[in-house]
Amino acid sequence: MLTVIVTGLAIGMLYASIALVYNVMFSTSKVLSVTTGHLSMVGGVFGAYIISVLHMNWLLGLLGAVLAGATFGWLTDVLAIRRVLARSDEHLWLLSTLALATMVQQGVGLWWGTEPKPFPRLITQEFGAGLMDQKFWLPIGMAIVIAIGLEFFYRKTMYGKVFIAMSEDAFAARARGVSTDKIRLLSYVLSGALGGLAGFAAGQLTFAFFALGHTLTLLGFIALAVGGLGSNIGALIGGAALGLLNSFASYYFGGEYQQTIAVGLLMVVLLIKPEGLLGAKNVRPV
Amino acid sequence: MPRSIKHAVRLFLATALVVSAASAIAADTIKIGWLSSLTGALSSAAIAENQGVQLAVDEINKSGGILGRQIELLTRDTAGDPTKAVNFAQQLAFSDKVHFVIGPVNSGEGLAAVPILARAGVPNLVIGAIDELIDPEKYPRAFRVINTNRQWISTANDYAIKVLKKSKVAVIADTSGYGTASAKTAIELLEKAGIKPVYTVLVDNNKTDLTDEMNKARAAGADVVMPWTAATGMLGRLLNARGEIGWNVPVVGHPAIMAAQIRQLLNKPEYWQNAYAAGYVSTTFGSNGKLPERTQQLVDKIRPKLGGGEIDILFWWVAMGYDTVKIIEHAIKTAGSTDAAALQKVLENTRDYKGVYATYTWTATERNGFPDSNMAVNPANTFKDGSFKLAPR
Repeated sequence: MLTVIVTGLAIGMLYASIALVYNVMFSTSKVLSVTTGHLSMVGGVFGAYIISVLHMNWLLGLLGAVLAGATFGWLTDVLAIRRVLARSDEHLWLLSTLALATMVQQGVGLWWGTEPKPFPRLITQEFGAGLMDQKFWLPIGMAIVIAIGLEFFYRKTMYGKVFIAMSEDAFAARARGVSTDKIRLLSYVLSGALGGLAGFAAGQLTFAFFALGHTLTLLGFIALAVGGLGSNIGALIGGAALGLLNSFASYYFGGEYQQTIAVGLLMVVLLIKPEGLLGAKNVRPV
Repeated sequence: MPRSIKHAVRLFLATALVVSAASAIAADTIKIGWLSSLTGALSSAAIAENQGVQLAVDEINKSGGILGRQIELLTRDTAGDPTKAVNFAQQLAFSDKVHFVIGPVNSGEGLAAVPILARAGVPNLVIGAIDELIDPEKYPRAFRVINTNRQWISTANDYAIKVLKKSKVAVIADTSGYGTASAKTAIELLEKAGIKPVYTVLVDNNKTDLTDEMNKARAAGADVVMPWTAATGMLGRLLNARGEIGWNVPVVGHPAIMAAQIRQLLNKPEYWQNAYAAGYVSTTFGSNGKLPERTQQLVDKIRPKLGGGEIDILFWWVAMGYDTVKIIEHAIKTAGSTDAAALQKVLENTRDYKGVYATYTWTATERNGFPDSNMAVNPANTFKDGSFKLAPR
């Protein structure tokens, strides 16, 4: 039973990290980018490439994963967000980010190959450690570190406060002299770096696999919706709940029901508490 | 008629002449369409098959072609996408008017493209393994070169039951269409042999850990684990879970257990021991350490094209690709033309045609040409130079 809990929690915390990344981008742009899961895929693949193929140490691998993620985040803003937001209020970003995500996935597939490849051990540890294996605890630790880091960033730094200002009211922030375009770009670069970091930490769990992106995008979004859009604690709870539910569903009913139960959870939350467990209710004064 | 119009008419006539002359030359070639997923998922099989196809086409063309006509190979990369496979199948059949189509490579693409080729009446060599691709009435010109999925499953089942003498089977398959269907067939065949699996489970092929499933199989008293999935990630995790819980149960199943990618995914190389998969006699080293003669000849011929060193791809794909073109050569030579109906007749009457990958027989009612006797079981960790050792019998 403990295995079910630990494996569920490990993958759930990866979903939580993705949900946190969604929050960063959403705060400045009100966009839920389809590339979010792919940021982690890119982090995992580049980490594995730098350590296993280029034979560099894991710190450089980590740096590479973060840089690759940040670059992808930057590209997302430049190619798929900036112009779309400037020209239209419609939700066209859904299509532009989907297109970019698909292109990146195909590109990685062509370059890296379509079979999953191993992700190297980061900490010296014998295999056979069972539930103490680093592959479970690295993604769990990383999600918590990212959540604490983001809280610190929002509360204690100038840029963090500007992020919050933009998320409250972008027009007002602009009127007060905030360069909203620059801040949004910064938030995409930051979210890319965090996504890369999460993918790197979970690499041993997921393998370095080109096709992970869309699944992570979907399950990260479910974690976010369950926890409540905008809430970092909610993202952690949502991710953990989703991971555990998936794991228990798979254990008791078999893998064929796993996806249905995950999407079912989303439906239930949307029907009963559309703002999520800890999300803010949007009340528009009339 | 004004001069400019006259000029235009002349130009048109001249162009028409050139075009018709060009098509007359084109009509002289034998056109083979090759629906190959050279990029995208499962591209590794297609890339290897392509080596064999190319070699056979080059050989035949160099020696003067078939009935004095050169082969024109029209390769179309479907990227593993059924929609693209459909578009290319239509293009090959109706615009390019090919005489034969090889492929598509993946079963999903095949389900979409084979009916189109059948409607167009184009002879089609099927290289997908699932049962639904073959139907002598609906697709009278579709002939299967590869073994059937059922043959893989029954070969693995036979080995587990008759050779390893196991009777408590755990069936673990993935939740894809292929996995679900294979699990069903595996259980059906086991029950026919009087064995009811002690544990059956379907697993999402991206599930990050299979320890629970392996523990449950063990608790159910399984003495052999039979995985049915082509996902190397899932197989790697299954073998890792078996190793980590220290359970030395034999694993017998899908050929992907032998794939080179698995080795990289294993936590320890020894986790690959005591694992067996359905394979082929043609790519199995005999007790004397030698490959069958026809396979060895092809290995020698193609080695320089693959870089000259040890072969690091599964050689059975190369052999099958090579055979498809040779089968087309056999059909056209015997029929004496490229008439589709005549080619169908020849293939229907083909008995024991000796290829490299297998010895094929098709009849008016049986379109699966691969014989059971050409199946073999290999230990997963014995890959060498494109082939495998024979599993202990």
